Amino acid sequence: MKFVRLLTLCCTALLITGIADAQQNGKKGKAKGKGRAILAIPEVEKKDIICFALYTVSDNTLKLTAQLYPIPEGDTKTVRLEIEKDGKWVEVAKTEAIERGWTAPFRVEDWDDTKAAKYRVAHGTEATYEGTIRKNPTDKDEVIVAGFTGNSIHPSHGGDLSRQDLIDNVKKVDADVLFFSGDQVYDHHRHYAAWLRFGRDFGEIIKDRPTLCLPDDHDAGQPNLWGESGKVSTLSGAADGGYIQPGDYVQEVERAQTSHFPDPVDPTKIAQGIGVWYTNLNWGNIDFAILEDRKFKTGPAGRVPKQGPRPDHISNPEYDPASIDVDGAILLGERQLKFIDEWAQDWSHANMKAVLSATIFCGGAHIHGSANGRLHADMDSNGWPQTPRNNALRSLRKGFAFHYAGDQHLATIFHQGVDEYRDAIWSFCVPSITNLYLRWWEPLEAGANREAGAPDYNGDHLDGFNNKVTNYAAANPEKNPAGNILNTRAAGFGFVRFNTKSREIRMECWPRNVDVTDPAAEQYPGWPRTISQFDNYNPPSWGKLGELTFDIENPVVQLIDAESDEILYTVRASGKTFTPGAPKGKTFVVKAGKDAPDTVVSKEAKAGGDGQAVVLK
Amino acid sequence: MTSSNPDKLLLLILRLGGFCCFAGWAWVHLYWEGPYGILLWRDETFALAEWFGISWDEFVGTGANDGLVQKWLARIGWLYLILSILTLTVRKKSKVQMAFLMGGSGLLVVLSYAKYLAALGQLPIFIEHGSQMLIPVILVLALSLGVRHRATVITAIVAVIMVFSGHGVYALGYPWPTPANFFGMTSLILNVEAETACAILRVAGILDFVVCIGLFVPLARRSCAVYAAVWGFLTAIARPVAGMSTDLIHWGADQYIHEAILRAPHFMLPLYLFFLWKKSEDPVVSEASASLREEEADAYMSHS
Repeated sequence: MKFVRLLTLCCTALLITGIADAQQNGKKGKAKGKGRAILAIPEVEKKDIICFALYTVSDNTLKLTAQLYPIPEGDTKTVRLEIEKDGKWVEVAKTEAIERGWTAPFRVEDWDDTKAAKYRVAHGTEATYEGTIRKNPTDKDEVIVAGFTGNSIHPSHGGDLSRQDLIDNVKKVDADVLFFSGDQVYDHHRHYAAWLRFGRDFGEIIKDRPTLCLPDDHDAGQPNLWGESGKVSTLSGAADGGYIQPGDYVQEVERAQTSHFPDPVDPTKIAQGIGVWYTNLNWGNIDFAILEDRKFKTGPAGRVPKQGPRPDHISNPEYDPASIDVDGAILLGERQLKFIDEWAQDWSHANMKAVLSATIFCGGAHIHGSANGRLHADMDSNGWPQTPRNNALRSLRKGFAFHYAGDQHLATIFHQGVDEYRDAIWSFCVPSITNLYLRWWEPLEAGANREAGAPDYNGDHLDGFNNKVTNYAAANPEKNPAGNILNTRAAGFGFVRFNTKSREIRMECWPRNVDVTDPAAEQYPGWPRTISQFDNYNPPSWGKLGELTFDIENPVVQLIDAESDEILYTVRASGKTFTPGAPKGKTFVVKAGKDAPDTVVSKEAKAGGDGQAVVLK
Repeated sequence: MTSSNPDKLLLLILRLGGFCCFAGWAWVHLYWEGPYGILLWRDETFALAEWFGISWDEFVGTGANDGLVQKWLARIGWLYLILSILTLTVRKKSKVQMAFLMGGSGLLVVLSYAKYLAALGQLPIFIEHGSQMLIPVILVLALSLGVRHRATVITAIVAVIMVFSGHGVYALGYPWPTPANFFGMTSLILNVEAETACAILRVAGILDFVVCIGLFVPLARRSCAVYAAVWGFLTAIARPVAGMSTDLIHWGADQYIHEAILRAPHFMLPLYLFFLWKKSEDPVVSEASASLREEEADAYMSHS
């Protein structure tokens, strides 16, 4: 009896010792092994309490969020924003830091965006953090948007390696906007600590240019995210839809990453008090729609028939794609679709349009994850649900919007199709900063209509949901990544150069640790690729209306189906002439105007018709 | 009730616990997938495969077909199914079946280790699988040494402590954070806000450790065992209760039911301890006596 008790007590002691040891390790922030990241909130001096700051300027409103380390008990929580005017710092706003997440969001209206301004965030008497609010680059022909995704910090795949190459390259090209498409934070419980680390890594470039960080699944603390308007998720993997973390955790994440965005179009909150942040940013004559492609999306578990080893994975190639295109399944949701429809028609201060979201509108990979092999389709992508996917693309192409996204852990270029191949927008999915989860675009059959010399995986394909997609590039990782754990895993970043004069869009996809200004530096195969803005809605089956010649530069042109009254598209023409594309055999009302299509140009325009001169002055 | 009935009941509890555990995992492997990806997609694993002369394509497939990894992952499910049957058929003298069950315990250790790795080395996730990993061992001990043998009882106590200390650490949120779905399940089932759910979990975490300690206090151990059985049952069924809905295909049963079933050892082992301690304050009897009772129980079962 004594022996039994002694033994059980020993076991318990060992257990408690183990836990206590782990506690100590946790306190010291020690790594538990090769794969686990070191993540701790460093203690900083009072003068360094401001970690970094993010901002945007839109519609003459500056919104800036300062991110602070924890303010010690007893110290003031007031944080000030000052602008340098005539060599002196002038306070333009002050706010109280929000304790949960230690953010200090500022808002300054009547901001003059025609000139740059130096700013500094100040706390107490010691702490300041300086940066530059850029002028709106409306005078530049080329606006560069640097794109990033997937910022894992785990050492097992290079997450612990320096980001200095990214900083250096952004500085070298002097990117105008930074776009982090999602997964800035991979820690599912300590967003604040990880966000501070993100700030330490990227603050040097973020402080001087508008930055957009879209919180995705890992930021919200879960492996995948089908938000279902704020429902609570309990299923492992979260495919039942909703948020795993409590609402106040998600609110903290969104406050940190998005409170500096332009005001949301419709701020009505979803369940659990979670806000919304979809909006648009007009910068450098480019109108960026910032979408939330996760927040409203339906979770697949229990909604679609099981077709694979996970509720969101389809491995059975014989399945009927129509069987999962279920009634009532949501992708962007009515609110966002309404926003896109209105945004696509509004060309004030815009020569080009781009849409930014977490991920792309198709199944953009065939082989997923580790040794799990080939998947027919992944419902985490925006290829599902198909009908809402098609509706989203139908709305976006009406504004000739170019799509910039991430999340896939695999860089790709796709030309999306809805009713026919290549009848919708182009998308560029950027590679991960560090690649936690590998994917490959590797169709079993060669694509149709490939360009000469293109690899078999290019060309027209049906994705796993039977969506029409045309691939132009894929930065597939090595099959057995080893050695250089960044580039063998196809890590990297993207630049998109929007030329608002030529209306060209150049996509660049770079591996890590290259100098992008070195002529010898090579991008991933398939890049760079340059398209025209007008390629974002130019179906192969269309014809051309007669050429329109205007008396003003760059008018806004709109085509309306004469029979259904439905707007086919609205776009700002380039120069004084424009030859609208349109479906053959249909009649269109053509409208035009300087900044809005307020003048009827033709009521019976048809493909193959005659040109005409248009007076708009 | 004959003198052998209490032991028969104890054995039945262990059999049912083991059966449910293996059957639940069989469902996971055959209907969904086992969590072994993180173990297999490693340089070390491939190096081992290469050492056996297996090429990369043979190991993971060419992309157009499945490799050894995918084929064998699916086959593991059949092993679990067989093991679940063995928990019902194994007898005192079935040495081969016992050996298989011990192997099944090894499989569950590997599975738990894979989950531990996937969770980036969170110790509680491994520890909380203690009952699942150990129930085949406890069943074998119960059959070979007796349901009241000190080794059987000690192993069962260790298993319960593992589950409740793992759960307790998670529920307290220190030093590892509380899994977010704990909050979600608590909020949904009890219809409370996240803050209240957090408070409930913290209290539950403290009680988990009270149970671990109480199992060593003669006056408290039966109460602790019954609490552990009830709480183990409630936490096991929390997933289907929180997640299932008439709006879902099959009401979501295929997504959630197995999550409760494979956790059966979490409440079956405390139940075993409760009934074990119900009749006598002394949980350990002589090996000879235990063995005799076991033989009687075996004979009773084989004739019933």
